[in-house]
Amino acid sequence: MLRKSEVRRLGKDNIMAGLISNQQHGGSFFSQTPERIFTPEDFSPDENLMIQTAEQFSRKEILPQLEALDQQAEGLMPSLVRKAGELGFCGIDTAEAYDGLGLSKNLAARILEFLSLNGSFSVTIGITSGISQVGLSLFGEESQRQQFLPKLTSGEWIGAYALSEPNSGSDALSMSCRAERHGDKWVLNGTKMWISNAKWADLFLVMAKVDGERVTAFLVERNAPGVSVAREEHKMGLKGSSTARLVLENAEIPLENQLYVEGKGHHVAFNALNLGRFKLASMSIGPAREAITQAASYALDRKQFGQSISDFGLIRKKLAEMAGRFYAAESMIYRTGALIDQAFDQQGGSVEGNRLAAEEFAIECSACKVLSTEVEAFIVDEAIQVFGGYGFTEEFPVARLYRDARVSRIYEGTNEINRVFLADRLMRRAKEGRLSLSGSGDSYLSELAAKAFAHAGSGQVFIGALSDLAMLSYAEQSARLRAKQQGGIFDLAYQNFLQWAQLQGAAAYQIATGEAVHVPATPHLGIDELAAAVLETKAPLRKT
Amino acid sequence: MKILVPLKRVIDPYAKVKPLGDGSGLDLSGIKFDINPFDEIAVEEAVRMKEKDGSHEIIVVSIGTSDSEEQLRKALAIGADRAILIETEHIYDSLGIAHELEAVVRAESPDLVLMGKQATDDDNNQAGQMLAARLGWPQATFASKVEAAGTRLQVTRETDSGEEVLELPLPSLVTADLRLNEPRYIALPGIIKARSKPLEKRPASVMSSPKTRTVRYDAPPARAAGRKVSSVDELVAALQEKGAL
Ligand SMILES: Cc1cc2nc3c(=O)[nH]c(=O)nc-3n(C[C@H](O)[C@H](O)[C@H](O)COP(=O)(O)OP(=O)(O)OC[C@H]3O[C@@H](n4cnc5c(N)ncnc54)[C@H](O)[C@@H]3O)c2cc1C
Repeated sequence: MLRKSEVRRLGKDNIMAGLISNQQHGGSFFSQTPERIFTPEDFSPDENLMIQTAEQFSRKEILPQLEALDQQAEGLMPSLVRKAGELGFCGIDTAEAYDGLGLSKNLAARILEFLSLNGSFSVTIGITSGISQVGLSLFGEESQRQQFLPKLTSGEWIGAYALSEPNSGSDALSMSCRAERHGDKWVLNGTKMWISNAKWADLFLVMAKVDGERVTAFLVERNAPGVSVAREEHKMGLKGSSTARLVLENAEIPLENQLYVEGKGHHVAFNALNLGRFKLASMSIGPAREAITQAASYALDRKQFGQSISDFGLIRKKLAEMAGRFYAAESMIYRTGALIDQAFDQQGGSVEGNRLAAEEFAIECSACKVLSTEVEAFIVDEAIQVFGGYGFTEEFPVARLYRDARVSRIYEGTNEINRVFLADRLMRRAKEGRLSLSGSGDSYLSELAAKAFAHAGSGQVFIGALSDLAMLSYAEQSARLRAKQQGGIFDLAYQNFLQWAQLQGAAAYQIATGEAVHVPATPHLGIDELAAAVLETKAPLRKT
Repeated sequence: MKILVPLKRVIDPYAKVKPLGDGSGLDLSGIKFDINPFDEIAVEEAVRMKEKDGSHEIIVVSIGTSDSEEQLRKALAIGADRAILIETEHIYDSLGIAHELEAVVRAESPDLVLMGKQATDDDNNQAGQMLAARLGWPQATFASKVEAAGTRLQVTRETDSGEEVLELPLPSLVTADLRLNEPRYIALPGIIKARSKPLEKRPASVMSSPKTRTVRYDAPPARAAGRKVSSVDELVAALQEKGAL
């Protein structure tokens, strides 16, 4: 049983304080417009203080050392993780009973966003504080939690998550890693590939098959017999993070290190991933946030044709679009996080309840992952463009942001896999009578989405287009409701995003149905105002 | 030892502020607030003293509307033990603040008042000195180092002619300079703990009328464009021309 901790209290607080309306459930955005959603402006002053500490930590400890981090300077990254642990960052949303802080998942995501101004540190802290603990938190026995979680939440140990294999990536369940029971031990054999934190990890959550078919989760300590880590992969980006193979050669694991039920390891793996995807969304807009800061600062400094390039319309348009899409991604992520907390509050506690809670908003988690990582890609790309030739060199930090961002669309389920999953889930829930695909009718996009879902079609291209429409509807609705609740410059950010989202939606609709479609004009793109706001604060938009 | 740290809620010192169109005040929309940085240094110093000697008690006090609770909670998160908000909408000048703090000091009887040398919004650099004078206490301003020496304090202050080391009996008052310390990251467990630390609200008791009045707010005039010179000779000539040499 999870302890009654802050996580769950906060979820309830949000409902009682009227910050989110009560009736939302997984996929319900498709057919309903909630009265209220949670927005980043709703974090309380002391929560904002925590977020501020995260940003300070990034700016003072991480950003001055990017070169050394990328060279994997001996001991540097583990020492930063320990430092982060002292401040509470290694167990933000793990229960207090295991020396975590027991904060809400939504706040944990926001804190991670600000710890993610650099991708390499982001993935390191994100995995050890998140996906390496969540399986234990949700599915572990009390004794297992007591044994391992405090070491991870303090930052004394670093954790890793090992699902992928050389021949088993997207098709994760085709894994060939085996587990056999020999007397009082499990013996594991196989190779896990692309394991983040491998070089530094003390504990791996490993998925392996018993009898060649029953996927089971195991807690594998680094120093167990038969466990080794291969050389670092030579990566395009995230060079400061460790990615290597975990090699299990007759690795001996005590029986009590089996996590959850034999044959149900996929529940552990995939529920950790649902929440992991949600957090990855916030971890992707962290670097995008930094790219906006870099681009705005550079645009103000750089002069051509006798004036600051920040005065040129096409540069301002970039800054405005970066701000608009960032705003939308941010709106949907923190709306979703509050919903996840609400689900845990209402259903969590027992292992089965935890599983249902982690799954409830899986559609929204995928939508957040796909949209945010694609927004990140757009922002880091345009940031390079603002820098011109200098952006293409390693003299300036934007090249690193660009390289580091690329993998966001690949891991925690590729964006293709997430797209297939998203539409598939929506249709499955509709079939089960748990939601209606009739559309909320609250926007152009939601009408297009409902029409496309009603269209007879098949195949992945069709499914992918439906997915885009659903994702864009969710983002649009989130951006719209936040603008309605908070007003100010957000009205313009919403309009700017809307124009792009409608065009994307129309394209997806054509792909899904083959029909021509009219796209309404967006009244005011707010390019000058949005650019001015970004240039003034050298940051994504804040409420005015 | 009982340490009282007064602190002020100020506009984020890094924010760009603009006056309202009619000059009647500042445009505060979208502006963040924080603890006056010098006061945060004072809180940090008190917490460090407490880390050396756990018997110290740290009380933080602020004067203002309930908005200042946010800054008091932050000070509690850094490590203060309890907070007092003198809740009022009254407008004070430095002397008025000294009056109000004097009442708090008389009620709490601290051994040490540790506060910022000035606030970054008005930059007056007066409240500490005025408070010490009203209490008749010894004072050490612009401290760059504070050490407890038995029942006395040794304070290093930075002056234009070098460092000056003062020894003060207790009770006394010290104002913090920028170099006293570098405030720590506020650890998340501290923020959670601060939620349950006592924050007491009291009404203002003195509310003396300010002796100064703000007439209007204007933005500083835009800086005129400079001129580039190509040699030292040209620079000297230009300065002479302006009558600066
Ligand atoms: C830096 C880095 C860190 C990582 N960290 C970890 C980690 O810590 N733990 C871990 O377990 N894994 C980790 N991974 C692995 C990552 O999750 C996989 O790379 C990812 O799941 C994709 O698998 P794959 O690389 O085998 O690609 P493949 O599955 O071979 O995919 C290749 C292409 O085919 C597409 N594709 C595949 N199947 C389908 C389908 N059904 N429909 C449509 N398109 C499809 C994919 O979208 C992709 O474009 C990491 C990877 C990287 C690069």
